[in-house]
Amino acid sequence: MNATMLLIFDALLLASIIGLAWAALASADARRSVILFIAFGLLLAVAWGRLLAPDVALAEAAIGAGLTGALLLAALQWQPRKTADTTNSEQPTHTLLETGFRWLVTLLCAALAGMLAWSLTQIDAGTAKDALANAVAANIDASGVSNPVTAVLLNFRAYDTLLELAVLLTAVLGIFALGPAQAGYRIAGPVFTSLTRWLTPLLILTAGYLLWVGAHAPGGAFQAGATLAAAGVVLRLAGRDQIGLPRGNALRIALGAGVGMFLLVGLALFALGRPFLGYPPAWAGALILLIETAAMLAIAATLVSAFIGGQPTEEKTRC
Amino acid sequence: MTELLAIVTLGLMFSLFLGLLRILRGPGAGNRMLAAQLIGTTGVAMLLLLSLLLDQYALIDVALILALLAAVAAAAFTGQQRESGHD
Repeated sequence: MNATMLLIFDALLLASIIGLAWAALASADARRSVILFIAFGLLLAVAWGRLLAPDVALAEAAIGAGLTGALLLAALQWQPRKTADTTNSEQPTHTLLETGFRWLVTLLCAALAGMLAWSLTQIDAGTAKDALANAVAANIDASGVSNPVTAVLLNFRAYDTLLELAVLLTAVLGIFALGPAQAGYRIAGPVFTSLTRWLTPLLILTAGYLLWVGAHAPGGAFQAGATLAAAGVVLRLAGRDQIGLPRGNALRIALGAGVGMFLLVGLALFALGRPFLGYPPAWAGALILLIETAAMLAIAATLVSAFIGGQPTEEKTRC
Repeated sequence: MTELLAIVTLGLMFSLFLGLLRILRGPGAGNRMLAAQLIGTTGVAMLLLLSLLLDQYALIDVALILALLAAVAAAAFTGQQRESGHD
């Protein structure tokens, strides 16, 4: 009985996700696409939860549904509006190149989907998948944390996370190359201001909770960083000038904190005669929390910089 | 008890489907955004029920994040509406 109902639930959820993805891609109006994409992200978070992957669901809920939606809406604002949002907006005319490009992307996506499906059939139950899970489970005691996802991301495969943070740092340099950020939006009305008053502290508190809980349950620096960045986004939308983002050298330190702390810990361990990022088990928990705290600040600063769309202007030059 | 939870979850799925109709039909951007918010709220409720059904208490945290961040997306939308003077 329960299994049947969950099966119907799964089928409906799948149909909704595919339908929303299709509608978002097929829409001629960019703003409609963005709203459909936000709904798509919300449902995708539920789907990851249904697949018993709460870590991915958390990341999708924070980054996919919330922040990306806000980022895309902000990006739309800079783009001149062409058509009003109506259901029957005229189809844009495509050049031959555009059509060819669309087909190329479609074919590449289909090839990727085919490869993934093929690799699914190749995975024998009880070989590669379980071998990795067993290897993590066997060494979890030495990792300093009890959440296997955090153990892999910050200990067993710490190199990957270090390089991911380096990618974020590179991205923010690209954003700064766009020039100074635009001035904040105008002051919000009373309803929005009161929403800001309780939403901002809740977001900051939740970010701290996610950072701390990541050691033994789903959570961690990426989800916490995105939640913290959301607090900055809300303040920015409310027209505040100060959105918690430091300026000048303090901002540079915050943006580089993730990579910097990783390298500092890695090199310090190197100097003490251990392998690069090979934490001593007794210290692993504390070192992971230290790196994750720095990474959270760096991720949040990066995402807020992306939202304001440029380098924040220096205090001195403001008029 | 779990059967009741499963029935309610499925019922929420149908309510979400109605929200999908509105988000696809529009007509205005405001209608679509409100429908997206309905889908978000329904998703929060579904995650809370699934956390009991599947014995995954971490899904409660996912519901918390989804509720908070869906509000951020809505805030970004209203900010944009005000700025552009549309609707």
